[in-house]
Amino acid sequence: MRLEKCWFCSSTVYPGHGIQFVRNDAKVFRFCRSKCHKNFKMKRNPRKVKWTKAYRRLHGKDMTQDATFEFERKRNRPERYDRNVTENTLKAIKKIDKVRVDREARHHKERMKGKKEQLRKEGVRELDQSIHMIKAPAALLEDPSLTIPKLKVKVSQDKAEATRMEE
Amino acid sequence: MAASNSSSKLFRGGLSNNAFAGSRPSSELARLDFLSQQTRTFIQMRTNLKVVDNSGAKRVMCIQALKGDKGARLGDTIVASVKEAHMGGKVKKGDVCYAVVVRAAMQKGRCDGSEVKFDDNAVVLINKQGEPIGTRVFGPVPHELRRKKHLKILSLAEHIA
Repeated sequence: MRLEKCWFCSSTVYPGHGIQFVRNDAKVFRFCRSKCHKNFKMKRNPRKVKWTKAYRRLHGKDMTQDATFEFERKRNRPERYDRNVTENTLKAIKKIDKVRVDREARHHKERMKGKKEQLRKEGVRELDQSIHMIKAPAALLEDPSLTIPKLKVKVSQDKAEATRMEE
Repeated sequence: MAASNSSSKLFRGGLSNNAFAGSRPSSELARLDFLSQQTRTFIQMRTNLKVVDNSGAKRVMCIQALKGDKGARLGDTIVASVKEAHMGGKVKKGDVCYAVVVRAAMQKGRCDGSEVKFDDNAVVLINKQGEPIGTRVFGPVPHELRRKKHLKILSLAEHIA
């Protein structure tokens, strides 16, 4: 039994799942589900399809090089069954998984660093430039403190204005 | 199965008419492209198959699928009539011979639950006893042949899928 990788999305194909397509040049394409298979038949390039691992690695969204990936390399030599080795391997798999997930989370954090600052800056810019979309410039000229609608005084003024408008 | 294929082709024809009338080329073409994915089915009477050994035949038409009421699948033997042949080969045009299907476009389930499918329909000509007529086999072959006891073909193959 071997856990293969889907050719299109790079997820693991467990036994009993998926289709393998053998091309006449003897290249075997394994797919995890019909979504990947249909995309392949449409001749889509996985490096351009946003949800695939190939795209994410190519565009730096996910980690590309890490020591934990070395453990998943394909080995063609069959191992003689040894109970202790099997037990240790299973324990190691769990640990390596945890390490890899932690490293991926760290990579994601590094990638998203500075996002809050950027959003804040954009908010300030929007308040400066696009306030005319929310409050009419004439109203702004009357009372320049009308730009920041957070003050409680503001709200009551608005309500008073609204009632005056209705009348 | 043939009816469903022909009906999908008719539907394509209908869509293309609408496309030219409606002048929305890109979306219609994309849908046409999607519809061109065929449902692959069994190998039955009148199915043309490619011959992938050096027995001399190039193309063969299935006359009878020996097992299976709907048709032959990957690994089954068929009776076939040679439609095209190389000059001076072991078989000539018009010969009736047995053949074993080594590649089928229809997916076949494997015992581990997965499915395999190939790019085209291809056969290797054999005699009544099951031995191949040719001496070479081209392209990948499935290891379903081992179960069907076509070990000679497996030994001649360049790649076992």
